[in-house]
Amino acid sequence: MSSLIAACGSSEKNSTSVIDLDREFPSESGGSLINAMTGEPSSLISMIAGESASSAISSNVFNTLLRYDKNLELEGDLVESWQISADQKTIRFILKPDLKWADGKPLSSADVLFTWQSVTDEKTASPYASDFQLVKKATVPDARTFEVTYEQAYAPALDSWAGLQILPKHLLQGQDLHTTSFARNPVGSHYYKLDSWAHGENLKLSRNPNSVRGQAKIDQLVSRIIPDNSAQFLELMADNIDYMGLDPIKYSRIIPARPELQQKLALYKELGNSYTYMGFNLKRKPFNDRNVRLAINYAIDKQEIIDGVYLGLGINIASPYKPGTRWSNPDLQPYPYDPQKARALLKQAGFADNDGDGILERDGKPFSFEIITNQNKEREKSAVLIQRRLKEVGIDVKIRAIEWASFISRFIKTGDFDVVVLGWGLGLDPDQYNIWHSSQQAPGQFNFIGYHNSAVDKLLEQGRLELNPDKRQKIYHEFARVLLEDSPIVYLSAGYGLTAIHKRVKGIDNPAPPAGIGHNSEDWFIPQPLRRNEINQ
Amino acid sequence: MLKYLIKRVLWMIPLLIGISLISFFIMHLAPGDITSNESAFNPKASEESRQKLREMYNLDKPVIVQYALWLQRMTTLDFGKSFASHQKPVFWQTTDKDGNVTKGLIQEALPITLTINLLGLAITLLLAIPLGIVAARKHLGWQDRSITLFNFIGFSIPGFWLSLLLMYWLGVVNNWFPISGLHSLNYETLDTWGKIKDTLSHLFLPVVIPSITGLAGITLFVKNGMLDVLHQDYITTARAKGLAEGKVIYKHALRNALLPLITIVGLSIPGLIGGSVIAETIFAIPGMGKLFYDAVLMRDFPVVMGILTIGSALTLIGNLLADVMYAWADPRVRRGVVRG
Repeated sequence: MSSLIAACGSSEKNSTSVIDLDREFPSESGGSLINAMTGEPSSLISMIAGESASSAISSNVFNTLLRYDKNLELEGDLVESWQISADQKTIRFILKPDLKWADGKPLSSADVLFTWQSVTDEKTASPYASDFQLVKKATVPDARTFEVTYEQAYAPALDSWAGLQILPKHLLQGQDLHTTSFARNPVGSHYYKLDSWAHGENLKLSRNPNSVRGQAKIDQLVSRIIPDNSAQFLELMADNIDYMGLDPIKYSRIIPARPELQQKLALYKELGNSYTYMGFNLKRKPFNDRNVRLAINYAIDKQEIIDGVYLGLGINIASPYKPGTRWSNPDLQPYPYDPQKARALLKQAGFADNDGDGILERDGKPFSFEIITNQNKEREKSAVLIQRRLKEVGIDVKIRAIEWASFISRFIKTGDFDVVVLGWGLGLDPDQYNIWHSSQQAPGQFNFIGYHNSAVDKLLEQGRLELNPDKRQKIYHEFARVLLEDSPIVYLSAGYGLTAIHKRVKGIDNPAPPAGIGHNSEDWFIPQPLRRNEINQ
Repeated sequence: MLKYLIKRVLWMIPLLIGISLISFFIMHLAPGDITSNESAFNPKASEESRQKLREMYNLDKPVIVQYALWLQRMTTLDFGKSFASHQKPVFWQTTDKDGNVTKGLIQEALPITLTINLLGLAITLLLAIPLGIVAARKHLGWQDRSITLFNFIGFSIPGFWLSLLLMYWLGVVNNWFPISGLHSLNYETLDTWGKIKDTLSHLFLPVVIPSITGLAGITLFVKNGMLDVLHQDYITTARAKGLAEGKVIYKHALRNALLPLITIVGLSIPGLIGGSVIAETIFAIPGMGKLFYDAVLMRDFPVVMGILTIGSALTLIGNLLADVMYAWADPRVRRGVVRG
């Protein structure tokens, strides 16, 4: 055992307050970082677990073949290099030499093959299997080489290999991944290994001496499970945790108003890979009419939503990609707020207020619809602002917030809705075939708004076949342009991810690079004088 | 008496089956299943994989078949495995072929919730009985009025608000008590005394706050019971005999006044295993309330059914115990039971 932290105890409070936290310190190893998470992972085999709490921990324990660097370009994680064949169907990965699992056993291409076999196995119900089922043939020519061949060129393939955590064959062979105790007692190859897991309380990771990527600076990572956000914040105020995600109110109101918090906490904001939108059920009238969709788009003041709901901590977007990345088309502009234009477009679509009640009608029927959303405060508030703006142009809107599981199975899956306010959290690959392609409309699939545009279909198909990043970029820029023009959804905003980290943690990039502050967490360090009291054993 | 007990216990079996049947169907009335969770909306997650999960957990079968499968397992007291927590056993630990022990979800959560609730109930009773007696004896006096006011405030204050306030005052401003969780991070390194101290300090707020807010009801019960009894003829008789006031109150009055309390305590037995979702969430305690709530949200049917079944069994047992206690405490009831 190296060291453990004393989270309570009154003496530690004073020890850090006399030292200037904003000073520069030389980088050094050691110390513990305590963060808080709202949910407990179900298992640390993230290809089975599927939830974010699981990958938050397991990404410190397991490696992938490829990873994204600071600027969101792919680089090798376990692999030294990779080559794509001339017909773009075969990818050959060469592993780095002398890789080891945390238990000292060698990590070879057989482990990679085993992982691929597991995720695609008939008996495994992995939510992420579909990318890997496209692999027609996987072979291991030697202990450092892993080769996959696809039926046809599949551009998102590389991204998928950046998401599949490689599992040890020697410990998992013959086990059922759904029940194995390995999921709660994993052996990986990354910077950290799991020391202990107190159910419902905390998970402790410590440095893996056999890490395939060298040594991280911080000795121990502790994740405390604290479901309530207010309780997390109290723990942060009391200096019992170092790190937590914030909501806009804490970020821009509460912390700035308290000098004692400002003094010890550093705030970070980074654009996430997600956005909030309002989506129309395109199979229903009048949303099948592009003029109506455009009118609603013009009638909504997106900046008002960003300012009112996110306290300004979001940005206006015009494409379904994270702004500033290569896939986001810089030439596209969001629809401005223009109620005059909205009224004109609605008139063009045949709507008029004949009975003078302030609500437009067409064919004797008032223009009235329901926005449904899940119980998410920000989305509910956005819906309320939309409701008011649409009222101004003569559209009557009702709002309903529904519990998540019911929302999905009763409304989304059955297509029984007018308009949704929802969000998409996306991967880093630009492929959005599952969301926009017209073939993806069956119940349970993701084109539940019923979008059908043959130009988009074609672009999405091309984008999947093209492995050259520059050519791909052109395809997706065009895709985003058509999508914006067609307006099947109204982009509401892309919110910033907000984080507070105690200033004792040094070495964090600010402002955050495209990949976010976490990209170099192995280089974060806690200088000796700033550490909590530690008991050496 | 024995015949009566056997009859009552045997009656529980059809009752439990009925309860479980109704629970099972109501649970399935809510739309969605385990596949409509967070990853249901990840565009990388395919519908085929969700279908596979449904088949794996028999969720593709008609509800009545699912119930039959569940009932079949229950005949061997097998509560099944959770869908949402990597198939941990719902009730009690299992050992796999390599000797790895996986603890059951209820097995882990129940002792925590029981400890908190038993301590809470003890504190409530210890405070409520004396307060109720004082309030009854000094009926309409300043003591009675201040107790009523105190109870009224305790009853009206939202528990979560008081919790957050006290967490801030005792944990952040003054660092006297830990804010959340059950153990300090260095718990394993403490000696036995340190461990006890650590656990007690973590339990302080979660135990005391519900006790204060729950005090009002029981105090009122004791007070009213006491008031009723104090006006009975036999109390006047006891006083007329010249018995000391203490003896009148504690020997003659209290025993009768506490009769309704037995029912209340009996009925609170099932409540002992059901933790408060709000308190457990705020204090980050992995207890039964949070387990049940999360299971409902995740549509983790085996866990929901497991907790409901154990809960209803305990409710029935609690009722029986209350009746038996009643019979023991009150000869009038006893005669009725024996005859019936």
